[in-house]
Amino acid sequence: MKLIIDGKAFNAYPGDSILDVARREGIAIPTLCYHEAFGGQGSCRLCTVEVTAGGRSRLVASCTYPVSEGIEVKTSTPAVEKIRRNIIMVLYKRASGSVLMQKLYREYGCSENSLGEKQEERCIVCRLCVLACEKMGTSAISTVMRGIDKRVGTPYDQAATACIGCAACAHICPTGAIEVLDSGNIRTIWNKNFNLINCERCGQPFATREEIDYVSRRSGIEDAELCFCEECRRKKLVGKMQGFSPC
Amino acid sequence: MSEQECEENIEGFRRIIYGFPGEKRYIIAIMHELSRCYRYLPRAALELTAEYVGVPFSQVYSMATFYRAFSLQPRGRVNFKVCDGTTCHIKGSNILLDEIYKNLGIGPGETTADREFSLETVNCIGACAIAPALLVNERVYPRVNAAALKEIIKEYRGGGDNDHHE
Repeated sequence: MKLIIDGKAFNAYPGDSILDVARREGIAIPTLCYHEAFGGQGSCRLCTVEVTAGGRSRLVASCTYPVSEGIEVKTSTPAVEKIRRNIIMVLYKRASGSVLMQKLYREYGCSENSLGEKQEERCIVCRLCVLACEKMGTSAISTVMRGIDKRVGTPYDQAATACIGCAACAHICPTGAIEVLDSGNIRTIWNKNFNLINCERCGQPFATREEIDYVSRRSGIEDAELCFCEECRRKKLVGKMQGFSPC
Repeated sequence: MSEQECEENIEGFRRIIYGFPGEKRYIIAIMHELSRCYRYLPRAALELTAEYVGVPFSQVYSMATFYRAFSLQPRGRVNFKVCDGTTCHIKGSNILLDEIYKNLGIGPGETTADREFSLETVNCIGACAIAPALLVNERVYPRVNAAALKEIIKEYRGGGDNDHHE
């Protein structure tokens, strides 16, 4: 089917969201809570666009809105710009400690108001970390409470038995809200300490014992194969490939 | 419900939890039953629930904190719910909260040390005509003032469950 975005027609397939088509065609729509590994969540609403269908137009989150025949999308209208500015303003007020939010707040030209700022906070509760943890397969963290008290945490805010210290949550966080401290051979994350093991080639600490055990168990790759850091693994692979002769 | 059935130990938890099918969709039902028996959700019971239905503990914890109907702190034998909806608020729900604090030393979300009384605020119980309203366990008290509240506390104190009104 054809999807019209900003006056131009693009190919779209059933099951695509508006954002999927836009990304494929190189049309910029800003996002915060979107990651290609998990698809749209519709939690930050920054990807809001204007959709006209059957003569009526409304604002929708493009990451979750499925494409259909005959709809027309506008990615930048005064209404869209205004709502994005408001979203950035509110998220900045909630997570004023985040460098990214500070930057967006300036870029979007948000106007001053009397809403209080949470200087210490960096989390915008986009849930990407929760999804990453779920995808890794340990689900050590989740959102707790609800409404204005909602936040991300481990059960009872204690060191979670399920956590393997992989730091996927911190890695995926768009606002750098999750503390992960690597000092020497100790990694501290979510109130839990892990021993880091050293790469067998370069000797740099790179992963936790729990993480390697877990990956080994899930992938069936032997432990010994996993004891190299990312860079050394790549070098090792290149070494192996040099041995092959082109046929 | 017999005393033995509500024993707050792993045996008691098992008796309740294993009474439900071990499926994800029964989590809320299990939590309701646990709340009814223990007046809160004990941590060990939540852990057992997660294991039994095959859902990560973090997700069960997330659900337990999401709903106001569930409490992770033990509630009292007598649970006061002060309505703090708009009408009750204007009609003086704060007086009731102050009075309860003066008499029992507990604020919203707290329980007395002897686990006799606990207090929470609710947003609206739909009884605006009789504001300010107070719920004591399941019983509604209309147009409560400081003096009436004192009497109510007296009634429930020392094991009184006010059954004669039912």
